[in-house]
Amino acid sequence: MATSQEILEALADYQRQCNENKRLRKMQRDWSKLIHFVAEDTGDKFTMNVVKGEIVSFEVGTNGTPDIIVTSTSENFCDMFWGDLNPSQKYLQGEIRVKASQEDVVRLDAITMIIWPEV
Amino acid sequence: MGSDLAKIKAEALSDFSKFIGPMKVRTMKAAGLDIIEDKREGASVWDITGKKYIDCQTGSGIMNVGRRNPDIVAALKKAIDTYDIGVFLLCSKPKADLAKKLAEITPGDLKCTIFGVGGGEANDAAIKIARGYTMKKEIIYTEKAYHGHTGFALSAIGRDAYKEPFEPLIPGFKMVPFGDIEAIKKTITDDTAAIILEPIQGEGGINIPPDEYLPAVRRLCDDHEILLILDEIQTGFGRTGRMFASEHWGVVPDIMTVAKSLGGGIYPISATIFKEDIQDFFIPHPFIHLSTFGGSDLGCIVGMAVIDYIQKHNLLDHAEKMGRKFRAGFDALLKDYPSLLLEVRQKGLMMGLQYTNESIGPRMTKKLADRGVIAIYTGNDPSICRLMPSLVITPEEVDFVLDALSGSMKELSGEAGLGKND
Repeated sequence: MATSQEILEALADYQRQCNENKRLRKMQRDWSKLIHFVAEDTGDKFTMNVVKGEIVSFEVGTNGTPDIIVTSTSENFCDMFWGDLNPSQKYLQGEIRVKASQEDVVRLDAITMIIWPEV
Repeated sequence: MGSDLAKIKAEALSDFSKFIGPMKVRTMKAAGLDIIEDKREGASVWDITGKKYIDCQTGSGIMNVGRRNPDIVAALKKAIDTYDIGVFLLCSKPKADLAKKLAEITPGDLKCTIFGVGGGEANDAAIKIARGYTMKKEIIYTEKAYHGHTGFALSAIGRDAYKEPFEPLIPGFKMVPFGDIEAIKKTITDDTAAIILEPIQGEGGINIPPDEYLPAVRRLCDDHEILLILDEIQTGFGRTGRMFASEHWGVVPDIMTVAKSLGGGIYPISATIFKEDIQDFFIPHPFIHLSTFGGSDLGCIVGMAVIDYIQKHNLLDHAEKMGRKFRAGFDALLKDYPSLLLEVRQKGLMMGLQYTNESIGPRMTKKLADRGVIAIYTGNDPSICRLMPSLVITPEEVDFVLDALSGSMKELSGEAGLGKND
C-alpha cells in the first residue's frame, strides 16, 4: 500500500517526464483531458489536468467532470507513475480499470511507451 | 518453443514494431495476440511457434470459405499460368464472368458492377455514383456505421475518432441513429442523394435493426427518389445464413457493395453492384471512375471460385446450422454468467457478445487467446466481442470456442473490476 504522499511524488515525476519529453508533447498536442485517479484500497483520489498534451496540474481530490476515470490500487498507481509496470497488462488483468473511450485508453498507454519504452 | 522459432518470432515482432508500428505490437502483445501467422487451414491458424487458434476474427469476415481453401488456392494457381492482373482499360472475360455471376446471385434487379480492390473503394464508388446519378449532394449515414477509411467512405463512418484528425471531410454527410426510421424522415431534404447502411452493423457492435427498419427505409427511398446503398462487405457471401443479409428482410438496394470474402482471403477484390437504370450515368462518361487494380483478372477468377464453393458446398445452410449450435452454447453462458454476459446478437455466423462492462471485452480477448481462440472486441465498443469464424467451421470447432468462452468467463468471474460502474 502506498501513501498519498508517495503517489503525489510519483505523479510529480510523471508530470516532469511527460512535460519535458518533446516527442510526447508534440504527439499529444491535440489531447486535452481531465483525469480522475481513484485508489480503491486507500480511498485516495487525484485529479490530473492535461491541456494540449501538457500536464498542467494534478491535485488531491476529484474536481470537475472527468473525461477519464482510472481505478486501481495505490501501489499500482505508484508503480505506474514511476514506470515500473506495464499499464496495458494490468488493464487486461483487471487490476487497472479505465472508464474512457478506446482512443483515450490507447493514448494513456502511448505515454508509457514513449517515456519508458522498455516497460 | 524451439529457440530458432522463438528467435524468428522475436525478430518479426521487433521489425514490425520498428518499421510498421510500435503501438500495434504493444497492443497485440498485451492482448496475448502477438501471433505471427504461419499455417492456415479451415477455421484455424497456427502461430509460428506451432500454437493453434480457431480464428473468429477472420479479418472481420474475409475468410468465409476458410483459410487457404484448397479449391480457391487451386483456382488461383491455375489462373496464374495464363493471366495476370490485366489492363484495367481493356475488357476481359474474367471480369465479364464475375460481373454476370454477381448479377445472378444478388437480390432483385441489381445488374451492373464496378470492381475495386477493397471495401472503402467500393463504398467510395457507390457514393460517387449516387451523387453523379441523382445530381444531389446529401448522403445520410448512421451512428456507429463503418464503411472504410477512404475519402467518401470515411465521411460516412459513424465514429468521430476515425474522422476528427482529418477534418474537414467531404461536406453533405448527415448522421442519424441506426434503426431509427423517424430520424431518417426528419433528415431527408430535396437534396438527399442516398442513404448508406450496413444491414447489420459489424464494427459498430453486431447491431441488428428492428425487422421493420430496412423495408421502411426502402419505402422512404422510393417515395423520395433517394438511392439506397447497402454495404454488405461484412454481411455478404453467406455470413448470416443467406447469400446477402438484406435477403432476411426482402429488401433490394439500388446499390450494393461487397468485398472481403469475395476474395476468399486469397486475393483482394471488391464490387459495387447497381441497378441497370443507374448505368445511364456512365453512358456519357464511361471512364469517370477507374481502378488500376480493381477487378483484376486474377481477383475475378478467385471471386468466381469463392461463389462456386459457397454454392457447391451449401455453406448458407451450414452457417445457419453452426449458428444454431453457437446459440445453444451462448444461451447456457447467459444463464451461467449473467454478471458478465448481458446479451447475444446473432444472425447465422455473424455474432456479437454484449458484455456487462467495457473492461470485459479486452480481458476476454486475452483469456480467449490464451485458450487458442482469436476473438477481438469491436473498435466502437470494447464491451462487445465480435465473433465471425469461417463458415466452414466444424461442430467440434464450435464446441472448442464455446469451451474457451466458458473457461474464460469462469476465470474472469473470480477477478476484480466487473461491476457495471467500474
